Amino acid sequence: METYLQFMLLGLGSGVIFAGLALGLVLTYRASGVVNFAHGAIAMYSTYIFSSLVDDGQYPIPPLPNLLSMIEAVLGWFGIQVDLPDIPPFVQLGDPWSWPMALIGALATAGLLGFLFHYLVFRPLRYQPPLSKVVASVGLMLMLQAAIVVRFSNRPRNVAGLLPQDGVDVLGTTVPADRFYLLAAILVATALLYLVFQRTKFGIKTRAAAENEQFATLLGISADRIAAVNWILAGILAGLVGILAAPITGLNPLNMTLFIIPALGAALVARFQSFWIAVWVGLAIGAGQSLLQIMEIRLPWIPDINLSQGLPLVVIAVAMMARGQVLPSRGAIERGRLPMALPTRIRPRLMTFWILFAAAILIWAPFVWRQATINTLIGAVLALSLIVVTGFSGHISLAQLSLAGIAAFMLSSLATDAGWPFPLAPIFAALVATGFGIVIGVPALRVRGASLAIITLAAGVAIEVFLFKSDGWFAGDSTRHVADPSLFGIEFGPNSPFFFGDGKVPSPAFGLFVLFMFTLAFVAVIRLRQSMLGEQMLALRANERAAAAAGVNVTSIKLAAFGIASFLAGIGGTLTAYKFGTFNMASFGVLGSLSVFAFSYLGGIATVSGSLYAGSLFPESIGTLAFEKLFFPLGRYEAYLAGLFLIVTTLVQPEGIDVFDRRERRRIGWGFVLLWRKATGNPDRTKPDWVERIYPEPKHKKGMRPSPPATVDAATTHEDGGS
Amino acid sequence: MKPVLHTEDLTVAFGGVKACNGISLDVYEGELLGLIGPNGAGKTTFINAVTGFVPWSGEVQFDGSSLKGLPPHRIAHRGLSRTWQSLELFGDISVRANLEVAATKLTPMMAIRDYFGSSERVAERVDETLAVLEMEDIVDERPDDLSMGYRKLVGVARALVAQTKLVLLDEPAAGLDRNETTWLAERLRQVIDFGISVLLVDHDMGLVLNVSDRIHVIDFGKTIAIGSPSEIRDNEAVIGAYLGAGGGDE
Repeated sequence: METYLQFMLLGLGSGVIFAGLALGLVLTYRASGVVNFAHGAIAMYSTYIFSSLVDDGQYPIPPLPNLLSMIEAVLGWFGIQVDLPDIPPFVQLGDPWSWPMALIGALATAGLLGFLFHYLVFRPLRYQPPLSKVVASVGLMLMLQAAIVVRFSNRPRNVAGLLPQDGVDVLGTTVPADRFYLLAAILVATALLYLVFQRTKFGIKTRAAAENEQFATLLGISADRIAAVNWILAGILAGLVGILAAPITGLNPLNMTLFIIPALGAALVARFQSFWIAVWVGLAIGAGQSLLQIMEIRLPWIPDINLSQGLPLVVIAVAMMARGQVLPSRGAIERGRLPMALPTRIRPRLMTFWILFAAAILIWAPFVWRQATINTLIGAVLALSLIVVTGFSGHISLAQLSLAGIAAFMLSSLATDAGWPFPLAPIFAALVATGFGIVIGVPALRVRGASLAIITLAAGVAIEVFLFKSDGWFAGDSTRHVADPSLFGIEFGPNSPFFFGDGKVPSPAFGLFVLFMFTLAFVAVIRLRQSMLGEQMLALRANERAAAAAGVNVTSIKLAAFGIASFLAGIGGTLTAYKFGTFNMASFGVLGSLSVFAFSYLGGIATVSGSLYAGSLFPESIGTLAFEKLFFPLGRYEAYLAGLFLIVTTLVQPEGIDVFDRRERRRIGWGFVLLWRKATGNPDRTKPDWVERIYPEPKHKKGMRPSPPATVDAATTHEDGGS
Repeated sequence: MKPVLHTEDLTVAFGGVKACNGISLDVYEGELLGLIGPNGAGKTTFINAVTGFVPWSGEVQFDGSSLKGLPPHRIAHRGLSRTWQSLELFGDISVRANLEVAATKLTPMMAIRDYFGSSERVAERVDETLAVLEMEDIVDERPDDLSMGYRKLVGVARALVAQTKLVLLDEPAAGLDRNETTWLAERLRQVIDFGISVLLVDHDMGLVLNVSDRIHVIDFGKTIAIGSPSEIRDNEAVIGAYLGAGGGDE
């Protein structure tokens, strides 16, 4: 019994981080209505700063786009080698700092991050729909995480402990004292926050703004300034718990970033309102996880499947199932719109041209380009899956790559272990992913927006720890062989022979197979956009209530969207598995899911043609390869830039590259036509059809909207109506 | 004549507050029934209850069968549709798509057949509705880009385009100017001529008194008067509760 108690007390170490992050989540939600997925990343980032200052006296400079290296590259095309100054990765600030100074430096960074999040990202987004805010915070999470990987690499880092470690005897067991100091610290912090919110004018103003932003503004409360202060507080708090608890939990760029998931669970139980509930639940999750760990070891009847890792998901799922839409609304003003879902038409001649072009690259181009084309096409299939679920039906899913991983794993079991023939094995594998996807879609029946993002993120982590990493189901080995596909004796795997070419892996035969699969998926999704099913998804995205009243079976349409999207993700997963010839769980991690979401959103989440842009953003795809050939190798910067551009996209061009490109093509193309007509003396001003087809401009801008015709003679009958 | 909608003792309680307290009313076939009452009388709650958006007790019969426990989309499929005070259009898909969604009762089989391009679209019914409501020139616009008057009209069109027997209109004239209201009144009479019954909830007394066949007045969730427009105009209880000392808002 003492052991169990001991482990529960030990678990308070991570519990305090969960609780501190949950407090910050509640603060920022109350202050500005944002669920900040990057909150764990703030803790992680500031802890790295602290550690770097204490150990080396160095302050890392966040990676910045250096225009000088761009110039170097361009000059390099002409054979001119110059060495312009690089931005240094660190500033040396004297000897290693003493811990109080380092703590101040790190907490100042944390507060600054909170402020910048608010000022540069969420304040400009305040009138945008929840989708944009979730996307931006996912972008921040990716960016901070990648910034640390760029500067400090992926390796775990030892953080100097500030709290005394000597054992304390409690109820017959010994526990390091730091747990109790941490517990005391978080409880004091909570009590202070509670008092501030109950007693001070600032707290009352925050509560008023949280209750109804519009009215609070009318009463002369600057919701904006209040939000800024709360963001700074939340940032400092995250930094503090991160630094204090890091010696206990360990520190690497990913683990503390993902502590956001249990913290989100705790904040959800607290309905993003109550500080005390958030803190107690956060602590309980920490203690519970630790308890489950020892129980898994001690008790033979508990299956050895990383149960402890699943606890946050259970908390989140139960909180949501019990409460439904748990995030309280804020009476906020919302005037942004969702990304426009412009239809993509099937244009047989154009498509034939591109298919032949891609096939030519796959057959004749050097193998790096062949490989890049294959990566692009597989990425585009994954993007199509998000276009269906997020672009069409409006549901955020952060687990798509995990679903792809399930299909990849199933493929290796079915095709290699069980010996199923080619089309059956991948199709069945994708169907298994579909089943999982529909299960993940069930919460979507009750929640959407940020809540759904939370639960799908947690589900992605659960798939990773339960299915991929545990010994229970998927046999725990991280890599498994996947046999090359073949049909009627013709092989078309990456190692298959091809009558032409350099004989390097991947084989052009595999490239053509991927091209075929992509084309199928592409046409299928275009067709979906045009079909009644697709229209109903868009109606659902626009307005769920009204869709139900108009006879749309909301339940079926949502599950259909999740099902179709998961099938596409599954196909993407099987193609990935074929490409590597193995199932490797490292290619289907949670960060991967977030990146896929980021790329898809960047490419154009609501237009089918956006999938090709998305595909070109994936690592080692055509777009990135071209960039690297022209300028400089991206390497670890890729994820960083993806996060950065994701944020920029939500801020300036929420519809993504595809719509931007269409609008510019229309503008430039039409401009050329006009110039040509002017030059040839043609006074015609009528627009050719293709102008509207590329990008239909809204015909009526604000202020010149059409009104119904007024019938004058009927006005008299109306006058009679008065009493 | 038999009622197309029959409610008996319809009660909706939010906690201790009874937003609708035993409302019994009938809408007959081919009739335009006005439902009026002061703010907070329970008019919108009544519509929400009948269309399946809030739980209720009592009895609601539509077209001879009970609506108890049916989800909103099933009620819509039976031919009972509604508009919203706050419009709630599908703002970012075209007007035509707005109507197509409402006109379709999508079954899985039908979705599959439609996907593979072999099912008859509802285009005809959509075109017909667009023609009746004189809105052919806005079919390709998105509702977000339209004026308030047209948006209201899209809402009405969306409610009518399904094989509708009865449409519940929640404040269709709110936010419209006098010309637009007059124009709307004409369209409503046209709707009746097509054999669709209408339950009209509005604050514009002029509009309601003008176009309704009968009027049902509620206050504090209870019926206080039923009768023809002229009877309602002279009813003491109604004047007391609704028109107040001012004697009308027109």
